[in-house]
Formats: sequence, C-alpha cells, structure tokens
Amino acid sequence: MTEAVAAVEIDGVTKRFGDVVAVDNVDLAIDDGEFFALLGPSGCGKTTTLRMIAGLDLPTTGSLRIFGEEVGMAPPDRRPVNTVFQAYALFPHMSVRQNIEFGLRMRRVKGPELSQRVAEAIAMVRLAGMEDRRPDQLSGGQQQRVALARALVNQPKVLLLDEPLGALDLKLRQEMQQELKALQRTVGITFVFVTHDQEEALAMSERIGVMSEGRLLQVGTPREIYETPASRFVADFIGRTNLLEASVESAGAVRLANGARIEAETSMAAGSEVAVSLRPERARLQPRGAASAEGSSLDGDVRDITYLGHAVVYEVAVGPMSVEVRSEGEVGQPFAVGDEVTVNWDRGAAAVVAD
Amino acid sequence: MQPANRPPASTGASGEEAAEVAKRRQGMLLASPGSLYLLIFFVVPLALISVYSFATRTSTGRTSLSGWNVESYRAIGDDVIVGIIGRSAWLATLTTALCLAVGYPFAYYIATRPRHLRAVLLVLVMIPFWTNGLVRVFAIRFLLGSNGPASALSESMGFGTFRILFTPTAVTIGMVYSFLTLMVLPLYVALERMDWSLTEAARDLYASGSKAFWKVTLPLTKSGIVAGSVLVFVPSFGSYVVPDILGGAKTLLVGSYIARQFRDARNYPLGAALSVLLIVAMLVAVALNQRSGSGADSGDRPRRRGRGRAHAEPEPVAAP
Repeated sequence: MTEAVAAVEIDGVTKRFGDVVAVDNVDLAIDDGEFFALLGPSGCGKTTTLRMIAGLDLPTTGSLRIFGEEVGMAPPDRRPVNTVFQAYALFPHMSVRQNIEFGLRMRRVKGPELSQRVAEAIAMVRLAGMEDRRPDQLSGGQQQRVALARALVNQPKVLLLDEPLGALDLKLRQEMQQELKALQRTVGITFVFVTHDQEEALAMSERIGVMSEGRLLQVGTPREIYETPASRFVADFIGRTNLLEASVESAGAVRLANGARIEAETSMAAGSEVAVSLRPERARLQPRGAASAEGSSLDGDVRDITYLGHAVVYEVAVGPMSVEVRSEGEVGQPFAVGDEVTVNWDRGAAAVVAD
Repeated sequence: MQPANRPPASTGASGEEAAEVAKRRQGMLLASPGSLYLLIFFVVPLALISVYSFATRTSTGRTSLSGWNVESYRAIGDDVIVGIIGRSAWLATLTTALCLAVGYPFAYYIATRPRHLRAVLLVLVMIPFWTNGLVRVFAIRFLLGSNGPASALSESMGFGTFRILFTPTAVTIGMVYSFLTLMVLPLYVALERMDWSLTEAARDLYASGSKAFWKVTLPLTKSGIVAGSVLVFVPSFGSYVVPDILGGAKTLLVGSYIARQFRDARNYPLGAALSVLLIVAMLVAVALNQRSGSGADSGDRPRRRGRGRAHAEPEPVAAP
C-alpha cells in the first residue's frame, strides 16, 4: 500500500425510512487512527450514519467502504467494526467475563488465547476483580467500561460509539472523556463517535462532522468548526454566538442590518445576504468613547447583566439587535444596566457565514 | 421513600405509625371480598375433597365417613391407573411442547410488529379464548370427523378418508388449540419487554441471526417460556372436556377418569384421592418453576419486590 486508505469511506449514502430521509446523500472519509465525532441535534441522522457503518441499518443508496472493502450491504457480523451502544446493551444474563468473551467465542477463539485476550481487555479498562459480576451489579461508569472492553477485545479496525457518555453524570462524563482519549491513543484504532453534546465533541475529537436534517454540513477540526463555521446552523449549534444579519459589501467588509460597516473576510459575492457570527467571549465591552480604533465596534446600551462567577455576561442593545458579550477575569463592577457602551472586537474575530 | 427527618418532631413518630396502621387496614379491606370468595368456593371444597380421599367406599357405592384409611391412595398404584396418569402426563407434555413450538414464532411475530398492529393481533389471539370452550371443541370434532372438511380435503387429494377423531392425535390437536392462547400471552409479554438492542449487540459481536436468537433472545425470554409452559401443562394434565369429546373411550385420561369415579363408578374416595394427587403434583410443578423463574439466571430486569421503603433497591456499586 503506497497511498493511505481511509478507515471509513462513505460515498453518496442516503437512508430512507418510508417517506423520511434520515441521511441525505452524505460523503465522508474518516482517516485511519482518527478520533472522529459525528455531531448534531437529535434526529439529524448521525446515529443512522453510525448504524450504517455498523451494518445495523443498510443504506438505501450509496457505497460504504471500510479500509477499501465495500461493506454497504454486509450484515453486521461480517464487518471488522464493533459498537459501544448508547445504553451499553450489555447482556444482562451473562457475567462481565461472558459479556467480554462473546465476540471472541462467536469467532471460535478458544483456550489460552481467549483467556489471555479477555484478561488483557479487563486490565485495559481496569475492571479486574469484577469478572463474575452481572451488569446490574455495576455502576454506570463500570458498565460503560465493560461495553468498551467487549468491543475492543475483538480488535476491530474501527470502533463505533453511540453517545457513549450520555448516560453518565457530568463529573464521570468528564473523567471518561479523558479516559476515552487516552484509550484511543493506546489502541491506535479509528474511533467514530456520535454525540449531541458540542462541548464533548470539541474536547475529544480530532475532527468533527456536523450534521443537521440528514445532511453533513461541515467537516473539520474543532478549531475550524468553532472559528470558521461554514453556515449559520453550524455557528449557532457549536457554542454560543451572536448572529448579526448583514450583506456583503466587498471582499473585506459587510454592512450590518443597522447600517454599520464591519471589516470581515468573505469570499461571497457582493450583495449576498449573510450573517456575522461573533462569539460572546471574543467581544469586549468598553465605555462609549473610550473604544480603540482597532477592529470593529458597535455602540449600544447595557440591557441586562448575568453574573456567572467565572464570567459576566452582558446583553447589549444595539439598535433593534441584541449582542451578548462574555467577559472573564473582570475586576469590580465596571458596567451597570443602562450604561452607554461600545462593543469592540479584533479583526478576524468574527466570521461571515452563509444563510 | 419517607423523609428521614421531619421538621416538626412533635407529630413525627406517632403520626407515621397511625398512617401505617390506616394503610394496613385499607389493604385488608381491599383484599377481603376476594379472600372470602376463595375461602368459601376454593378452600372449603378442597378440604372436603381431602377428607373424602381418606374415606371408605361401601359395597353399595355409598361413602362412609368413618374408618379413615389410605386405601384409595394405595389403589392409585394399580397398573390401569398408573397407565392413565402416564398417558395424561405424556399428552400434556406433548401439548405443551407443540404450543411452545407454534406459539413462540407467533408471539415473536406479534411482538415485533408496530405498536398499533400489535393491539389488533393480540385481540385476534384472544377471540378464540373468549369463545365458549365447548363450542370450540365441538367445532374441532366436526372439522376432524370422517364426514368433515379435513377428511373431504384429504380424499379429494387422493389420500383417502381420514380417521383421527377419537384418537390421541385428535385430543392433542384439540388441546393445543384450546390452550395455545395461554402460551402465546406470556411469551408475548416477555418478547414485548425484550430490549432489541441486545440482539443488535450480539450481531455486532459476530453472532449470526440464529446464534443471536439462541444466545440472547431465547435466554432473555425464559420467564415467558416457563410461565406459558406451566399455564398450558397444568390444565392439559387434568383436562376433562377435550379428551372426553375428541378422545373416545380409548384415550382415557386422568381428568375423565376422576369424573367417572364421581359419576358412574360412585367411588368418591378414589376420585378424591386422585384429585389430591393431581393438585399436589401441580403445586410442586408451579413451585419448581417459580423458583427457576425468579432465580438469578432468569435474566429479567430486577423485579420490584413490594413497594416503599421496606425493600429499597440495592444501590449500584459506587464508581472508583
């Protein structure tokens, strides 16, 4: 092999359930060894996409390859992938050991090899001593690790994870995020995971595919997705943002609905209706008149202040628009409701997104 | 859960006790009509039967309630009666196995339909069950008779007329038909509760469709299989109407034999002794199944035992 083959290659895949189009003509290539997240609101088609990779749903049209081999129509037991299910789907009538052995036994792995691989998997997820327990005798986090071991013990070429952390409470979820990342580095295989939690996707994955209504809207690194969203939906779904209606004036400037001219890079034709996405934490608040000439600015009045402890969120009325500004590390109470202020941001901090 | 510490301590303990007593009284009130009914129409006759089984039959066919003995129980050891019991047990086993073989795929089909279809299919299953049993058995008798449609069909296809009425085959067909619903319903309940992501997990872990069924679906619906089998086996064993109408004299089963003791032979003690034996056998079977059904291997979701604070569900083991 001279050229790297994609771990998963999805080519024009569409899935219909009756009249409903769950996945709409998706093209996607996931690299070998990558930690890839499919992100989107519920019902966006991300789980269906994952299930098609697993073979639990079959595509209506299109082609699906795993390491170059066409598997689109193959049953799940004939694919070199394993899945960590959303609610883990551990077999309740089997012990932890029997659960983990299941895949190997189905492939007729026996004797010392079986026990050695199972022992390794149990050690890897730190469940030694729990082998003879039933799933209902384990905590959520432990069940999750059994599900991981049960899939990884088969040494799949791709591991699929369907909302793997959704059932855990916040603290455990954050711990497991780190653990999953470390695990992926250790085993070195491709992880594809589905989540509706954008923070989780940003924190864990190397690349993210954002889906909505069956379509794959944007694929990129967390930084690309967050800082240069390709569309209004992506900008709005990932993190918080201010979407300011505007139209393109030239390649370097747009005009906001209230008439203000703002410097911003865009490749869209002059006159296109767009939105400017300004992240609340990228904007600064300054007393009116004290604003620096750098970057862009909008004048407004403080309408509301929310104190969050580690940050203060200001809602600023700019004409008919409302702009959210998030200020961290603020000392004292520099602003009060009703103050006349200027919202200011650096060149390049705001992104122009298509409708 | 009751709050551990109620703020106004003055009304605390005694208030709770009073509420507890009131709750218990309400429970007794709710259960009393049913208990009374069962006491009069089940426990009392059962006690009478037990008493009669130790009585003596006089030479004139009267039952003498003096001189208690176990003669009737000894008579059960007679070859004829042992043969009848053996035949009944065999037919009941066969009926149960056939009901399971027919009922499982059927229940599986219903349980995997969309929700609105399931309700319709279930009603269709129930309709024969709601129809008078005697009517159904006579319908079968007509169907299987040598002048009936089944025979006519067989003749038109060149297999000759067919004589299965008044044979054990006819009895088995009739019993499977009569008791199938009792098998399908518990199987349906078990399959309907089945978490299908588990079979998907099995498929994902390299099990073929049939392997996934044998390793996951079947063990997880064991409670339904056990319940259905008990519900079919118990009435088939003591069945009286079906073998009487479809079986003829050659297929004498224990139910008919008992009826004969009370009616024609006027041997109340023997009939009573056989009844007691049947009841005890059933109780043992039910108890055994109950134990296997609620054991750790059943794979059911943890059952709720009772309500309230007395049986708090075990807390999951804390994560390290």
